[in-house]
Amino acid sequence: MSFWQWMKYRPTPSSQPKKGNRPQQIIPDRYMEQHSEELLTGSLDEARHFIQTVLGDNDDLITREFVIFGQFKAVLIYFINMIDQEVTNNDILKPLMIAPPHYVAGTIELQQLKHVLLYETLYHSMSKMENKLAAIVDVILRGQPVIVVEGLDEAIIVGAAKIDKRAIDQPLTEQVIRGPREGFIEQLGTNITLLRYRLPTSDFTVRSKKVGRVTKSRVAICYLKGIANDALVQEVESRIAAIDIDGVLDVGYLEQFIEDNHLSPFPQIQNTERPDKAVANLLEGRVIILVDGSPFALIAPSVFTQFYQTTEDYSERFLMVSFIRLARLLALVFSLVTPSLYVAVISFNPELIPTKFAVAVAGGRAGVPFPSVVEVLLMEMSMEVLREATLRLPQQVGGALSIVGVLVIGQAAVAAGFVSPITVVVIALTTIGSFATPAYNAALALRLLRFPLVFFAGMFGLFGVMVGLILIVNHVLSLKSFGVPYMSPVVPGNYEGMKDTVIRGPLWWMRRRPAMFHTPNRERIDEGVVDTLKQTPHNTLDPLKVGNARWEQPDGISKASDNDSSGSNSH
Amino acid sequence: MEYPKQVTTIQAAAILISTVIGVGVLPLPLFAVRSANTGAPLVTLLAVLLSSSGLWIVTKLGMRFPHQAFTQYSEIILGKWPGRIGSAIVILFFAVLSSLAAREFGEVVITSVLKKTPLEVTVILMLLLATLAARNDMTTFTYINHLYLPIILGPAILIVALSLKNANADFLLPVWGNEPREILNGVLIIAALLQGSFIQTIVIPAMRKPQNAMKACFWGMFIVGFLYITIVIAAVGVFGPEETKQLLWPTLELAKTTTLPGNILERLDAAFLAIWVTAVFTTIFSSYYLTIHLASRLFGLRDHRMLSLFVVPFLFAMAMTPQSILQMYQVIEIVGKFGLLITIVYPLLLLLVASVRKKRGMQDGG
Repeated sequence: MSFWQWMKYRPTPSSQPKKGNRPQQIIPDRYMEQHSEELLTGSLDEARHFIQTVLGDNDDLITREFVIFGQFKAVLIYFINMIDQEVTNNDILKPLMIAPPHYVAGTIELQQLKHVLLYETLYHSMSKMENKLAAIVDVILRGQPVIVVEGLDEAIIVGAAKIDKRAIDQPLTEQVIRGPREGFIEQLGTNITLLRYRLPTSDFTVRSKKVGRVTKSRVAICYLKGIANDALVQEVESRIAAIDIDGVLDVGYLEQFIEDNHLSPFPQIQNTERPDKAVANLLEGRVIILVDGSPFALIAPSVFTQFYQTTEDYSERFLMVSFIRLARLLALVFSLVTPSLYVAVISFNPELIPTKFAVAVAGGRAGVPFPSVVEVLLMEMSMEVLREATLRLPQQVGGALSIVGVLVIGQAAVAAGFVSPITVVVIALTTIGSFATPAYNAALALRLLRFPLVFFAGMFGLFGVMVGLILIVNHVLSLKSFGVPYMSPVVPGNYEGMKDTVIRGPLWWMRRRPAMFHTPNRERIDEGVVDTLKQTPHNTLDPLKVGNARWEQPDGISKASDNDSSGSNSH
Repeated sequence: MEYPKQVTTIQAAAILISTVIGVGVLPLPLFAVRSANTGAPLVTLLAVLLSSSGLWIVTKLGMRFPHQAFTQYSEIILGKWPGRIGSAIVILFFAVLSSLAAREFGEVVITSVLKKTPLEVTVILMLLLATLAARNDMTTFTYINHLYLPIILGPAILIVALSLKNANADFLLPVWGNEPREILNGVLIIAALLQGSFIQTIVIPAMRKPQNAMKACFWGMFIVGFLYITIVIAAVGVFGPEETKQLLWPTLELAKTTTLPGNILERLDAAFLAIWVTAVFTTIFSSYYLTIHLASRLFGLRDHRMLSLFVVPFLFAMAMTPQSILQMYQVIEIVGKFGLLITIVYPLLLLLVASVRKKRGMQDGG
């Protein structure tokens, strides 16, 4: 026995059986795989034995024996807490025990039984027959009760699963002032319902897939036939089909497998919690990917301009929205370049800023012991820590923490001569800028990238900042999401698409769907609509016309002598 | 298909503009004034016309062979080995051109903003920037040039527009110059600054509609020429011909004299230089891309990425060869004038031989 083995040696307690004596441990999943083709034979005991071997160790597996119509032995197998008790009692067990009135008890033949059960007895709308044992186990695991009857070579599956879910409520990450309040929840079924409710069209298609060796998560790929490009749908499907992982707990897992550039800090697939946003994207020809258990939907393909747009933009007046989008873009730029510009100007080119202000800045920095790079990096780091802390803490503590943080960083640090007041302003501007970006992951990317920019600024001043920015922009320009260039429709330029970038054109301007998704059906708004809009509107309630009728009687044309000042011919 | 057919006419013009406008703009008024004092704008105009005719030849040649690379059709026209030698000289020339551009801008940066930074650092930074970008494909090359175009044109036009209020029209008279002696020399030197237009040789095969190449060239050259002439007019108009001769980079000095209305920024030169990094980057990037692109064609490589890293040390060594800034400008003048043989005379030769031998590339409708 070598030293290493001796270290690992643990004397086995004598009560445990030795390895050789222990019966072969059955791993249920592998056992099922080996017996995946095994069929029900009609023998109740055999079926029960199979299910017991696979699921027998679970104490929450219930096997309820009963007799159908007083004639046939049967068992109801299910996981407690996963089924709807009431439905099981009233709609499954009760009708099964009492024979239908037009049959005399005890006279039903075995050949008839299947028909009688499925078509005349079970009230539940979702019942079907299944003869593969592995499939039956699978169904039990999904929470549906299964009825196995002695003598029948098929088991009855009843869709009476009831898994608790939270109510649909407002999406927390994407708040809007004007717009629907519904958000996706964890259940895939509910999420698809939310989409179907908004898209009562036969074009809306949901393709289902299973991903995850252990979690077997259901993945739904949703698209609009005739609007989404077929090749895109196929590509999405094949990328998802290629995934082999043990568990998919959130849609983010999928995102990382199907995106184009895995090393880029920029998100190439957007996610959303809002069904209305998902539908809007479906209408543009994109594909939506949902996973059971995740309240987020993936939107593929995505381009950069999407990350500063919100659904609300399309319901407000276009002028205001264009202005707001400009502000968001500004915030985005702020969050990326403000600290590095500050460092570059202060430490290399103070002659750029007006003299009076430069003196003020120098005065503020008089007692600060560090060079401005270190100062900014320090503050940025503490801001990141503070942000993360506020995010993770329970809400009650979070408020207190943010007050402490603001006080410590804003006031005390300056008073202590640790940082200069201007730095605090710069950091605040940066942080607020990054919070104003609607897409959290895009904001995160820019927040990360400002650190290398600050380094560059500290080393090479404005020259370094430009070099850093060029590197970032070059990278962004080389990105693609499912073949769509990331900066489209700006580069490569597309006039039609540019109506919905920084400015949001009026809806009737954007007559066609974005060209970058190569949708087979580009017409969004009929040409006639624009003509209708151009006509002078009917002034239905013009006081001149309306005022001419009184008590259902025409009152003649208003005379010029009338005192109606609002009419055009009143003078 | 050998090339992805991606580039639109507007993008082709954008590539041309952002390639040609680069570090050469900084000493441009000096070159013009030196040769013809008050006739500087005229010299610039002549130079633009000269290099436009060169570009016309290159474009004609490219449109004659709309699906082949420069290296391929020069082999077809001149025969295998003469064509290859010609291409090798072109490649070498553009390698030298990009290294000199990096060196020149490195000098500008360490002279005016980063006074304590060693020259090597700024040069290698620019070269590495181009190297990393040159690993991308033709599509991304187009996008990069396209996106940076407004960033290049905007500040230049702004500086010119703001400085014109200090300009004095008397400095520009007589238009033909006071006893100009070296007009031809000046025309050649300034035309040499415009040699980046040779980039069209790799753009045309990638164009969606090669028959529109001439249009792209016209607009590209028009905008470049307009900008060049206005910069010269502004510099000479503000400083006068004698003062301009004393300035190493008159365009940069022009930025120094201008202020934004409202005094938002006290001085514009550092900001202008920072933004000018983009213009220089696109120039180096384009000539670098041209170099390795043609080289990979010449050597029959399928991928140009490996080459991009391989070439850097040589470019860096070439960039550091001139001993001083004065020697550098001498080298630039010599190399530039020699380059006109390569970028104008050689294509002209190819075009003539091609029309004599009736060589023509595959033609198609699109």
